[in-house]
Amino acid sequence: MRHSVSMSVPLVSIRNLERHYQMPSGTVKALDGIDFEISEGERVILLGPSGSGKTTLLNCLSALDTPTSGTYMFDGYEVPVAPEEKKRARTGIDHWTMRPIDWVLGILLAPVEYFTHSRPEAKANELMTSFRRDNIGYVFQFFNLLQDLTVLENILLIQELADGRDEERARNLLKLVGLEDEVDRFPAEISGGQQQRVAIARSLAKRPRLLLGDELTGNLDTETSNTVMEVLVKACEAERITCVFVTHDESLVEYATRVVRLDSGIILSDEIVG
Amino acid sequence: MSALLTKRLARSLWKTKLRLTAVVLMVTVGVFAGISFGTYANSTQSMYADIYEDDEDGVNLPDIWAENTVGFWDGEDAEYLCQEISEEWPSGSSPMSYCEPRIRVSGLMFNSEGESESIIPAIWYGIDEGVVDRVWMPEDDCCSGRLAIHEDEIVIDGHAVEGLGISVGDNVTIGAGQGRLDYRVVGIGYYSSLLYFAVDGSIVPAESGTLTSGYLSDSGMSRLTNLSQGSANLLLIDVEGTPGYDLQDTDENEGEALNVIIESIESVLESSSESPVITYDRSGVQSVELLRQDAKSAADTFPYITGMLAMVAGITIFLSLQRLIQSQSREIAILRTLGIPRSAIIPGFMAAPLVMGLIGSTLGILLGAFFGGPAMVSLYESVIGIPAIGFYTEPSLVFEILAITMLIVMISGIRPALQASRTQPLEVLRGENEIRLSSRWIQEATSRLPSTVGLTVRSSIRKPARMLMTFLAVGLSMVIFGTMTMMMDSMDDIFGNDGINWDAQVNVLPGGEGPVIEWANEAGADYEQLLVFPGSAEGDGRIFSAYGLDEFSTSRESMIKLEILEGSIPEKDWNIPQVLVDEGTMKFLGWEVGETHTLVFGTKSTDVEISGTTMEMSRTVYFHRNDLSEITGIEATSILLSLPEQVEVDGQLADLSVGITEKQDLIDSFDALMELQKGVYNSIMALGVIIAIAVLFNTLLMNLSERDTELATLRVLGAPISKIRMMMLGENIAIGLIGGILAVFFTVLMAQSFIASLVNWSFYFTLQPQTSAIFELVGVVIAISALCTPYGSWRVSRMNLVEKVKDLSQ
Repeated sequence: MRHSVSMSVPLVSIRNLERHYQMPSGTVKALDGIDFEISEGERVILLGPSGSGKTTLLNCLSALDTPTSGTYMFDGYEVPVAPEEKKRARTGIDHWTMRPIDWVLGILLAPVEYFTHSRPEAKANELMTSFRRDNIGYVFQFFNLLQDLTVLENILLIQELADGRDEERARNLLKLVGLEDEVDRFPAEISGGQQQRVAIARSLAKRPRLLLGDELTGNLDTETSNTVMEVLVKACEAERITCVFVTHDESLVEYATRVVRLDSGIILSDEIVG
Repeated sequence: MSALLTKRLARSLWKTKLRLTAVVLMVTVGVFAGISFGTYANSTQSMYADIYEDDEDGVNLPDIWAENTVGFWDGEDAEYLCQEISEEWPSGSSPMSYCEPRIRVSGLMFNSEGESESIIPAIWYGIDEGVVDRVWMPEDDCCSGRLAIHEDEIVIDGHAVEGLGISVGDNVTIGAGQGRLDYRVVGIGYYSSLLYFAVDGSIVPAESGTLTSGYLSDSGMSRLTNLSQGSANLLLIDVEGTPGYDLQDTDENEGEALNVIIESIESVLESSSESPVITYDRSGVQSVELLRQDAKSAADTFPYITGMLAMVAGITIFLSLQRLIQSQSREIAILRTLGIPRSAIIPGFMAAPLVMGLIGSTLGILLGAFFGGPAMVSLYESVIGIPAIGFYTEPSLVFEILAITMLIVMISGIRPALQASRTQPLEVLRGENEIRLSSRWIQEATSRLPSTVGLTVRSSIRKPARMLMTFLAVGLSMVIFGTMTMMMDSMDDIFGNDGINWDAQVNVLPGGEGPVIEWANEAGADYEQLLVFPGSAEGDGRIFSAYGLDEFSTSRESMIKLEILEGSIPEKDWNIPQVLVDEGTMKFLGWEVGETHTLVFGTKSTDVEISGTTMEMSRTVYFHRNDLSEITGIEATSILLSLPEQVEVDGQLADLSVGITEKQDLIDSFDALMELQKGVYNSIMALGVIIAIAVLFNTLLMNLSERDTELATLRVLGAPISKIRMMMLGENIAIGLIGGILAVFFTVLMAQSFIASLVNWSFYFTLQPQTSAIFELVGVVIAISALCTPYGSWRVSRMNLVEKVKDLSQ
């Protein structure tokens, strides 16, 4: 659901945000006390070398990750987080690192959980998902379009999973990104640049407040990168969407209104450029 | 380097513990079933061979039986017939070893329980210590004592002692139409003709205590029957060696040499015996034939079941390895880019299934040898009621199953290993190997559906070959469950007691029906006379039972209700006697309704016209009683009684008869058999369900992990778990539905083939697939499939999206 916009409250407000990881070699401070605000309509680029914490910050902004400490307010509301003690057990399907007892218990308890959805972590996860669904758009470096769906259906799917199908808007978005003639093609039948434009249209499909992109032109050549960024800026302006992009590419600064540089988990500089 | 690569692969595999467990479980179940069924099949085969053996421990089963169907020969006549047979023995045939006269009569045992007395139908044999067809008394807990020598001694059959509470030293009261006499039990043993312990003509083994049998001395038999010593109604003829005989379930004649001897004996008896005589080989002895068929069907079925399980295990392993390679493709591509040769990649992928197979096989062998095999043999002992002495799981069986399993496992691993080695690094690193275009027509067909449904359908059928193999594995894995369900339904239908509406069947000697009818009239009981006589088709040695009925009826109220499948009830007083023939006989003899055939009863033969077919488990021909009486010269062999309330079978009736079968005993025997059969079938069904769960779980888990990226993308984009859960549930139900339909298809084929291997002249029934069984089968597959959804959705809900986003960005 779209929140009402308050002129006095920044869209994103982060205070003393920390994200630490326990590694065999010790604690890694991916984010080490970040203070940061983003106003509605800004296009922020996060720049920094590998390991500077920019992707971690993006993950926290999208509520994919939960900070170790600090506060994250979105339009004046605190963003939901997962219980700290359960985070270790959350694993990817191909990254199965649980103990045997965990998966035995998992099998046994899955049906109960299926019907009751009782686990606090599950509840928190769904709140975080719900926050993302209502507020966040996400563009991946490798587009991650669903190969079994056509260009148009990739957008419709996200609508169906959120508020409901709106084919007219989906077609308008494709027109906005210049792909109105490719609606019935499968992702594998169009170029990388076109796929990224579909991904942008998809991320806008449910009218997010904040659009996030992680190295979204990292897989494209310079010319195509520029085209994609132009489309993105145009679309964000048309839809009045706030954007935060992570990149290594200094040349993308021209598409931003603000550039934040990070290193070792802290903000080195924060400047208005647009 | 190769060792490091293998270590790397092992670690990768370890990450998919659950899928590995499913694969190992599959192999374990397959080997377990193979060892269990194999032990059972081997035991049944060797057990009967041992019992019938012509040696000190065996009973020396005769090769030919000559049976006087209406009366008895006295001792002199019997010796004379043996002498004649010996003198007329065809030249060039294997010589005769022995010809021993024997006597068998139906009778009763009067068992006192406090003040009440139960009357138990019985079969009495006069068996002096002879050379042929001895009483089997192995050194085992089952048996004890010695043979009867004196005129007041008896050996009681081991099947009956438990139910009747008889032990050596007890006195028993028995009769055979000549009053009651007391005998002392001197031994407990078994007899070849009653190893399958059932009343004459019945396929259902009698529950302990509802039928008894005893083996008396010649003098003891004379005392019981009031016949002179040496009287006989059976001649047991033993030919030197063990000549082959015509097996009832094959087209070729394996007993041509024996048939020459049988024809010679028939010719001798036709000219020398005043009574009609039927002559038959081992196939004509119901107990011997049923047990041979049982052992044969066990041996025939065992490769089917094991092969099917091995195939399912092979498909599961193949699919799992393929999925593993897919998930490993990036690593393999990196290795290939770094210059690792194909030959270094192949061994690991070949070794992986072998290790899984070895672990699964070891577990399966241990479980099969120590639990499955003994349990199967023990269940079999319970059904048949004889001890399986000295059975064990043969090492050759273990090696055979291990070799087959490892071969299948190895073959399953070859293609995935080659696939792994052929991985094109550039293609993988570009991600091109994972891109597969959905077909246009599928896109068009699903374009009007919601995108969530369209995605589910398209991604499910993205890899049609794999999907087909999945359905094949699911279908096959359910075959065992389905076959057992359908078999049970069919047996329930045929074994059922719907057709019996009499209370007691009173057997009488020829001409003995009058007093029983008088008793019935006095007691106000309804009665029908029944004539049962063994016969055969001209030119065919297999014996059927000819039933002469007073009434033909398909009504529930009639004493014998007939289930007519084709044609009509025979007309009375037709110029050629009309008969109803059971469908099994029709099939085995290739007869059709409306045809005329010649039937042989002892030395007499007659033409009959087939008016219709009936459904019977045993081979049966129904005549009008008058027609059969004219041929055999006997009015009735038993009287069927429908007793009014308060009237029961009493001692007076017992004294008039040579055996009484009460309906309740048949029902009890049927119930006991079905209970045991259901126990066996339920165990096998449980095995089938475990296999199906392992296959479905493994498949659905693979589908899930294959769609990991898709699901992660949807989750990152905000898809609620409830929607993903619905997508997964829909997909699982669809897989379950298609798998279930295929399972029904495979099951009907398998059950028909299984029944075809099971049925024979003595025991025939057809598959009766019922709608309820079909729905049950499809329902079980859908339920298993749907039940996997919570686990899948649980895993998706626990995805580490930060890690997934990292993956998506690589």
